Amino acid sequence: MRARGANSARLTARSVIPLVVVVVFLATLPLWVDDYWVRVWTGVAMWAGLAASWNIIGGYAGYISFGHVAFFGIGAYATAILMQPGLDWNFFLTLPVGAVVAGVFAFIVGWPTLRLRGAYFAIATWALAEALAQLVNTVDFTGGSFGLSTPGNAETGFFYYAMLIASALIYLIIFAVFERSRFGYKVKAVRDNEAAAQSLGINTTSVKLQAFVMSAALPAVLGGINAYWITFINPQSVLAGDITDQMVVMALVGGLGHLWGPAIGATVLYLSSTWLSANFGSSTGYIAMIGALLALIVLFLPDGLVGLMPRARNMRLVRQMLRLPDRRADPGPDSDTSRERS
Amino acid sequence: MSALAVSDLKRSFGGIKAVAGVSFDVGVKEIVGIIGPNGSGKSTLFNLLSGTIPPSSGTIRLLDKDVTHQPAYRIARQGLGRTFQIPTPFINMTVRENLLAAAVEGEWRSARSRAEEVLAALEISHIADDLASTLSGGQQRLLEFGRVQMRDPQIILLDEVTAGVNPRLRQIILGRVRDLQERGKTFLVIEHDMELVRTICERIIVMDAGEIVFEGTFEEVARNERVVDAYLGRPET
Repeated sequence: MRARGANSARLTARSVIPLVVVVVFLATLPLWVDDYWVRVWTGVAMWAGLAASWNIIGGYAGYISFGHVAFFGIGAYATAILMQPGLDWNFFLTLPVGAVVAGVFAFIVGWPTLRLRGAYFAIATWALAEALAQLVNTVDFTGGSFGLSTPGNAETGFFYYAMLIASALIYLIIFAVFERSRFGYKVKAVRDNEAAAQSLGINTTSVKLQAFVMSAALPAVLGGINAYWITFINPQSVLAGDITDQMVVMALVGGLGHLWGPAIGATVLYLSSTWLSANFGSSTGYIAMIGALLALIVLFLPDGLVGLMPRARNMRLVRQMLRLPDRRADPGPDSDTSRERS
Repeated sequence: MSALAVSDLKRSFGGIKAVAGVSFDVGVKEIVGIIGPNGSGKSTLFNLLSGTIPPSSGTIRLLDKDVTHQPAYRIARQGLGRTFQIPTPFINMTVRENLLAAAVEGEWRSARSRAEEVLAALEISHIADDLASTLSGGQQRLLEFGRVQMRDPQIILLDEVTAGVNPRLRQIILGRVRDLQERGKTFLVIEHDMELVRTICERIIVMDAGEIVFEGTFEEVARNERVVDAYLGRPET
């Protein structure tokens, strides 16, 4: 018992100490860097939050969504619309509205699409996000292709830094709890083997849907903060497909299905692309440099940068995803679990 | 009351009758073996009983409740646990996490202490923090059996649980099956290992071409002409 208690204490220390270090670093950062770097780290925080949210459905549940920008955009538009003159909502009250709308949207689209697997799910979610972008382009209350401005605000850059850093840290804590929670185990079990999960009493359809809703509601909050920060949004700025691409790449580079993976991926990629564009941005050559960096990571660290951490778990998520169709339940005679000799 | 009552159960895949009208009962605390040649429908029968695939017709009653056509997770919640012929560990989780994942639909507060008990009972405490993907085939079977125990079901279906398992692990599994039987659990066991079937099964169901061709004790099965023809074979004269 004592050994188990000691192990548990070591485990807690291993989880808490990095978090404390990160909190202290980020809390004191504005004291010792200039406004430029505060702005850069504001971007890091936003992308870390987005990649970590995507990691719920992509890394923990094993469903690669290429439509996650839709939820970011819904949050952005919810804030922008509710703050328009005439409605005049308080900024903070718009954030939960965006999260709820994104969650409901995820529930509605998740019900049919989560029955698909692998590339089919990825294509379906990409198509839905594109359809949403086209819809926003054509209706009046979103400002169509002209977009919407949020009311002018006198907030300083530190306000957005604090908002996005706080969101990213809260998300990290939520995901740390999620990882060890009953729900977290259900999601991971469904990812690894759906038939086995069902045989243990897990309602896999419901679990996938809950994970998708959770993964959708959180980016909406970041979308709302982003809309308030940049003061003007249109479909190109908050519903563009490359926003999802960046979430996916950051999570993959950092480490799929790991707590710290997306945050590490977002930090490394955002900082390196900022540095490369600042120093080599006179031509598009810096994009090739980012591509080369990604290629090196994929080649030598297939489990992402977390693979460099001591005692990092050597998972097989990327390999699992590349082998399509995967080990999920298939009630036919050829499924992995029912491919019987008898 | 039967633990499990199956009546005229059928399942076809296209023109192939994988299970062609199977009926049998299993009493509480009984250990029943299912044997038969490859392709006789044993594992398809398990998939039907556990809800992994729906039957074409027939009924399944579990602890006196009709569970026919219910999804696998509902049947599991009503007291049925199973292992698969091809082990299905959660490969990105450790051994301990696999056991915890098996407790998510049951009593969660005691899950960690129960996981330690199962680890100790199956003598796999030393690999508790290893990823399931790194285990040998035998250890994966043991782990899957451990997961079933974490669920604490009333009826346990074991599909070739000792296939490819070394003698030491085999003894651990057999000992555990007997322990669980004493604690009131019912077993339905698919096995090709006749020595094991003879040792633990009180009754044996013999299947061939999707049908039950004989039912009885091991000695009766061994003497039955049709079973010898279908499964055991005869020496060439």
